[in-house]
Amino acid sequence: MQKAPFITSYLTEHTADDAFATLAGYRAHGGYEAARRALTQMSPEQVVELLKDAGLQGRGGAGFSTGMKWSFMPKDSDKPKYLVCNADESEPGSFKDRLLLERAPHQMLEGILIGAFATGADKTFVYVRGEYAHPANVLQRALDECYAAGIFGANCLGTDLRHDVVVTRGAGAYICGEETGLLESLEGKKGQPRKKPPFPAQFGAFGMPTTVNNVETFSHVPHVVAKGADWFRGFGTEKSPGTTIFGVSGHVKRPGLYELPLGTRLDEIVFEHAGGPPDGRKVKGVIPGGMSMPILPASQLDVPMANEFLRERKTMLGTGGVMVMHDATCMVRVGCIITYFFRDESCGQCTQCREGTGWLHKIMQRIERGAGSPADLDLLLDVASKMEGQTICAFADAAAWPVQGLLRHFREDFEEHVKQGKCPFPESFEL
Amino acid sequence: MPKITVDGASYEVAEGRTILQALDDQGVLMNGVDIPHYCWHPKLSIDGSCRLCQVEIEGIPKLQIACNTPVRDGMVIHTRNERVEKAREGVMELLLINHPLDCPICDKAGECKLQDYAFEYGVPHARTREPRRAGKKRVDLGPTIVFDQERCILCRRCVRFCREVPGTGELSVFSRGDQSVIETFPGEPLDNDYSMNVADICPVGALTTKDFRFKIRVWFLEDVPGICTGCAKGCNVHLGVANNRVYRYVPRRNDAVNGTWICDEGRLSYARIGADDRIAGHEVRQPDGRALPVSIDVALEEAAERLRGVIDRKGAGAVGILASPHATNEDLFVARRLLEALGSSQAGVAVRTGRSDALLIQPEKAANAEGCRRLGFGPAEALLERARGGAVAALLVLGHDALATQGPELLETLRGLDVVLLADSHRSELERVAQVVFATRVVAEKHGTLTNHAGRVQRVVPAVEPSFDAHAEGEIMWRLGRALGLPGFDGAWDLQAVSKALAETVPAFAGIDLASVPPDGVPRADR
Repeated sequence: MQKAPFITSYLTEHTADDAFATLAGYRAHGGYEAARRALTQMSPEQVVELLKDAGLQGRGGAGFSTGMKWSFMPKDSDKPKYLVCNADESEPGSFKDRLLLERAPHQMLEGILIGAFATGADKTFVYVRGEYAHPANVLQRALDECYAAGIFGANCLGTDLRHDVVVTRGAGAYICGEETGLLESLEGKKGQPRKKPPFPAQFGAFGMPTTVNNVETFSHVPHVVAKGADWFRGFGTEKSPGTTIFGVSGHVKRPGLYELPLGTRLDEIVFEHAGGPPDGRKVKGVIPGGMSMPILPASQLDVPMANEFLRERKTMLGTGGVMVMHDATCMVRVGCIITYFFRDESCGQCTQCREGTGWLHKIMQRIERGAGSPADLDLLLDVASKMEGQTICAFADAAAWPVQGLLRHFREDFEEHVKQGKCPFPESFEL
Repeated sequence: MPKITVDGASYEVAEGRTILQALDDQGVLMNGVDIPHYCWHPKLSIDGSCRLCQVEIEGIPKLQIACNTPVRDGMVIHTRNERVEKAREGVMELLLINHPLDCPICDKAGECKLQDYAFEYGVPHARTREPRRAGKKRVDLGPTIVFDQERCILCRRCVRFCREVPGTGELSVFSRGDQSVIETFPGEPLDNDYSMNVADICPVGALTTKDFRFKIRVWFLEDVPGICTGCAKGCNVHLGVANNRVYRYVPRRNDAVNGTWICDEGRLSYARIGADDRIAGHEVRQPDGRALPVSIDVALEEAAERLRGVIDRKGAGAVGILASPHATNEDLFVARRLLEALGSSQAGVAVRTGRSDALLIQPEKAANAEGCRRLGFGPAEALLERARGGAVAALLVLGHDALATQGPELLETLRGLDVVLLADSHRSELERVAQVVFATRVVAEKHGTLTNHAGRVQRVVPAVEPSFDAHAEGEIMWRLGRALGLPGFDGAWDLQAVSKALAETVPAFAGIDLASVPPDGVPRADR
């Protein structure tokens, strides 16, 4: 595992240092001072306002305003309120949260403590992806240190704030990264997203008001509180402030993590930082934000990596998982892999998703085998359109969008398969 | 009260309801306002997963599911435009891509919502080329239900039913995505007092009851509204009738009684209607004990003759009636008038009791025990005690429930009487001690009203005609009264007139005559 991104900024400045994962090492860099300031010198409303001013957006994929989300927590509820830290990081192509959990657990915990103060939450559940055994252990050790030092518990940092943090482990389903699927799983049930309304802020974990934030989102919070909204807005674009950690994978010379300001151009990430494709190959397409985001062709890599620009190209930042494919890549095979994943991971509740993901996969396989017909291309788009925007959660969208993206930009790959009656690309592997 | 507009029509609806609930409250859902749905059921929690009930709401960009969207004042809803129709088509097509399309051999065909909605809202052709998903066929889920995995559309009504209604939770969805299947847990079959309701609420042919499957095509059945007579609850049912035979009971919705459910025992009680042990004709017992089949007129003559003898010897006050809690209010009213005409107060009723629960099953195992009480029939014990003491010399016994409550001792008591007349529908030991046996009709074979445990008066109509000569207890007693020349028992048997008299003379039934009882009954809390 990479100990620090190839390019670091405030989030990952010290992650190369093993000591940074310990309380002493974190405190050596001013750790928990932001939380102390929030808890002793600010009101919860001021913290929320500060985050709104800073414009911090959730880094889990949807990009919703964190300050706004925190403000939705009911103020006059007589029920316990919960925070949930989504550490399920399950989006293929995304591996940034793992670094933050393993190398900077206290940074995230400090963000949680500030969030607890701002939202009045009684308890935080950190839901860690099942496969992340080591990160969960590191986090638990850090949490134990916090309890021993009085950072969490009955009197957080010596104040009268009471807050407890519980680390729970998932069992390895993609859908448990969806916030309400996560809540179901957290409660010990099958991981299936909940219909809304009610929304988690009213009826969340165990039926209590709940706010769910991503690992990276919490990790930004201490920096915003310590250095202010203006400082934070010094990174990134006007609409998308701050940095994020891009996870670059696929056909590049230097795959790995890069902490860069939002708005950094995709071609800069792919070519300058990650070194572009090896063996003198050219880039064919890049998925900009994890597998559920539509792909961009090589001709459109001049886009700044922020939602306001990516949306114009009919894609999104997602979790910042940049997946690069070189010019020998069969885009139909990519479609097979993507649709297989979503077919396998659909929770199976909603008709469109349960049946549509399987159908998309079958049609993709048919085309890849060389048994496709010209009508199958439009059939793919038609099935995708019937899945999009009609289900309980965004999973069906996530399954439909990549298919639409592939056909939008690489239709000729599909047509060639149909015309030749076989896959025109040399590489082959069992699908 | 929020006001909503659906396809141009306005409705004032209750606060806090979702669109489907509000339309269901109004009685217009699928009855004027057609919003097809699979997972939603009025008596189960909202699931929101089939996605078929999507509608367009002005001001909301995406289509919304009507089952889970709360109504707001001023909401303008469209259920019929092109966008909504396209979405429905999409859901129907996706539900059908893996469906086996085995309607010709599917027992649900004819009452299948997948068939109905595919016809109404679907696309008429298939675009799939791959083989359909294979699944297990004829899965034995428990003593009552067989499951076909391939036909299941995973609406999860059955899963929610088991969790929420009987609270037994036998069913669950296992696996995920397009591998999802409904199953039971190993060694824990679907076995509860209400299990067969899952076949009713299954919108497709996935869940069928072992009792009914393959007996008859449902389109040959006529649904006759009726009442289950298994206990005092009086659950509303439809009797599925063809060829003058009742093939099944299915629940008929009545939110004031049974909602949309019935218990398995009640459901299977239809079999008593056409049972082999029906008393299939009137009989007179010979002195040697042999039963002589006779016409109703001969039986009445014989009965009247014997009663006259008792009246002459011991007075009319020695004639008693042991009533049946299975008889209708009208039957019982005639019994009461017969006693009044005789000047006798010898009346009682025996009600068999058994297991009960908090949901539907009542301890009294008869449909009209409450009606008996309201018409003045007290416990059988007192009557039989007087009989043993010699105060009763002739007893007209309706039904044989007393055998269950009094045991064989009853036979001894009856043997000690001068005259025992029996009017019953099913064979029992009582025939051996009766001099005259009248074949009676069961509830499914007659007009009348029944009073359930809570005092609700409900109407029954004949669903089938017995294949032998049988009459309602009321008619038999009326004709007996006439044969005895009792005052007020002149003219032909006229149920309407009896019903009218009941409504006019018994305060507990004031204003309730046959013609005025609506399909969902009339509540009467007071006794």
